[in-house]
Amino acid sequence: MDTDRFDRRKFVKGVGAAGLIGLAGCTGGPESGGSSGNSGGSGGDSDSDSEETQTQTQASGSDTTYVGMVYATGGLGDGSFNDQAQTGIQRAAEEFDLSYDESEPDSVSQFSTYQTQYAQSTDPNYDLVSCIGFLQADALSQTAPDYPDQNFMIVDSVVDAPNVRSYTFKEHEGSYLVGQLAGLLTTQSFSAGGSSTQSDSTNVGFVGGVEGSLIKKFEAGYIAGVKAASDDVDVQSTYTGSFSDPSAGKEAALQMYSSGADIVYHAAGNTGVGVFQAAREEGRFAIGVDRDQSVTTDYQDVILASMVKRVDTAVYNAAKAIVNDSFEGGTATTLGLAEEGVDIVYGTELGDQIPEDVKSQIASARQAIIDGDVSVPTEPSNV
Amino acid sequence: MSATAAVSDLGTRARLAVAGAAALFLSAGALALTGSTDVLLAVLALLFEKSTLAAALRLSVPIAFAALGGIFAEKSGVINIGLEGLLIVSAFGGVYVTSITGSVWLGLLGGVAVSTLLALLFAIVCIEFRADQIIAGLAIWLIALGLAPFASTVVFGSTNASAGTTFPSIGRLLANSGLPVVSTAGVAALDALAGVPFFGALFEASPMVYLMFVAVGASWWTLNRTSFGRWVHASGENPKALDTAGVRVSRVRYAAVLLSGVLAGVGGAALSLSLGQFVGNGPTMVNGKGFIAIVTYLLGNYNPVGALLSTLLFAGLDALQLSLQGQNVLAIPRPLVRTIPYVSVIVVLALFGKTRLPEAAGEHYESGEE
Repeated sequence: MDTDRFDRRKFVKGVGAAGLIGLAGCTGGPESGGSSGNSGGSGGDSDSDSEETQTQTQASGSDTTYVGMVYATGGLGDGSFNDQAQTGIQRAAEEFDLSYDESEPDSVSQFSTYQTQYAQSTDPNYDLVSCIGFLQADALSQTAPDYPDQNFMIVDSVVDAPNVRSYTFKEHEGSYLVGQLAGLLTTQSFSAGGSSTQSDSTNVGFVGGVEGSLIKKFEAGYIAGVKAASDDVDVQSTYTGSFSDPSAGKEAALQMYSSGADIVYHAAGNTGVGVFQAAREEGRFAIGVDRDQSVTTDYQDVILASMVKRVDTAVYNAAKAIVNDSFEGGTATTLGLAEEGVDIVYGTELGDQIPEDVKSQIASARQAIIDGDVSVPTEPSNV
Repeated sequence: MSATAAVSDLGTRARLAVAGAAALFLSAGALALTGSTDVLLAVLALLFEKSTLAAALRLSVPIAFAALGGIFAEKSGVINIGLEGLLIVSAFGGVYVTSITGSVWLGLLGGVAVSTLLALLFAIVCIEFRADQIIAGLAIWLIALGLAPFASTVVFGSTNASAGTTFPSIGRLLANSGLPVVSTAGVAALDALAGVPFFGALFEASPMVYLMFVAVGASWWTLNRTSFGRWVHASGENPKALDTAGVRVSRVRYAAVLLSGVLAGVGGAALSLSLGQFVGNGPTMVNGKGFIAIVTYLLGNYNPVGALLSTLLFAGLDALQLSLQGQNVLAIPRPLVRTIPYVSVIVVLALFGKTRLPEAAGEHYESGEE
């Protein structure tokens, strides 16, 4: 019996060790899933053979620009933030002789690992490392000074280092416009695509993800927009405390709809899927965020509009600057309505049914913000 | 034997009732300190709203099923800390099978199958190969945390997946049942009952909510009124005695752990299919519900009914917390409002929770005979 036990122990140990080695093999290093776009070939593939042949065939004379993408923890396929960033680099890859590699960290602690890996790499030597998401700021403020010759860019936060280009957005300006939409529609009887507003109630909602200064900008702009449309409209705000808990998002939105809300706007990442589901079940409306979510999700029957955030513009501009040798490290740019960094995009299915006078009011509010006649608060307490 | 069981059940129930009352009393006291009676009344009004009960029932489903699974496993002597992982794989399995077959019921079965397979792996590692149960349980969670989003990326091209459909409501289920008299009468009766304030929520819930009540009853009956239940009990308290009585301890433990896989599988599939979506980013859509389940069955002292009540307490406070934020009733910062369910559970657990772990839980048992 004793020898039997010993063998089993040995077996477990062996299997465990083999499994660990296997796992380590899977997780090591950034993924190279990028494509150069030009020929649909995999220029970002780390297989040196294919890389060489492709570089030879496509680039005669000019040097290929290499970009390393470090995405936010949501990962690709989130239908909003990261996918939007990917769109930007794909566009750059189509227009320029540019190749990129991507990595999708699972947790905040992995950011500095991936940033450092790209910065250290000599084959290829990355001309730019794009860091997507405000959570990368801490890691980047430590990585950037260690590699003074490496160019970095960060989206959604400002890192004060001479080799980092920072891009932030005026989310409150875009949110102001969707707030206007919600405020104007809840005060009238509006129905489209199986959903409708309750004519006797003037009430709208906001569902946020993790409460912080970034998401509060969405909330502040939204509330200001609603109040500008009509002072009588109440806004309910709930934070679920997570960007990936759709069941909490659904319950938060259901509470709002059952207490009379007609339209709920979310800035909660994947939690927002639950908001859309709640809107469908209750026959009410919702407003998407970051991308045109009537395209990227299946809920086009309830999405009136989306507040789009052009993360792709930031990524594309930085890549373009690198290609043209005009990269300005150490500067920070804020993209608002005027710079087309944020905007309102009407839903594909319901957008046509929104009354023209509502749309024209929103258009004039948009112009007023661009002209500087209206300033939108960034803190909900200042509304 | 059954008399003692009943007495101990009664004790548990009394304790739970005291705990529930105390939780209410404490939160009322806290409210009285922070605000006026107006605030208290507003909170009570929200608490007794129909939508709060409906939300509490919906939020309870995955937690209660996972808790039932945890009870069976742990009572048999195998601490299943991997419930979270079982919920994750079954949430994905449910969506995957539903998207292929178009039927949520087949999807539910698919979720159960995947979760049971993972539970089988856990059982083999723990029972056959004597791995440490806590470490193996954590491994199950970590495997699921990586595997489900990975599988989703392979199949759907993204860590998020859509099933395309959700569970029908109980009313529609009855209407489509094909039984002419029953369906019309049933729908009419349900409609009438759903109009009742507060308790009306019990009559327009998802079929999974009813399944949860059935599962709690069936689990209680199995544990307290069947010989399998006695074996599970003995296997966790005194495996040697069970062995002496001629029952194979490892078989009982295998059965109990597999049963925990089945139950957690129903919970996970119910979670994802009630939304029609699987979300695999970050902590995935399960987001700690499996760990909350462990807390609730410990609070319920391994009694299925107690576990359900503590799940409802937690889910109810969670639902209340969401409406308190939305309606801005309390004059305290929102991040604090969000902690209400967790703080209450800790208070209840610390003051009233009397959990007695099964004697042999966490220990491997090797039969003397070869």
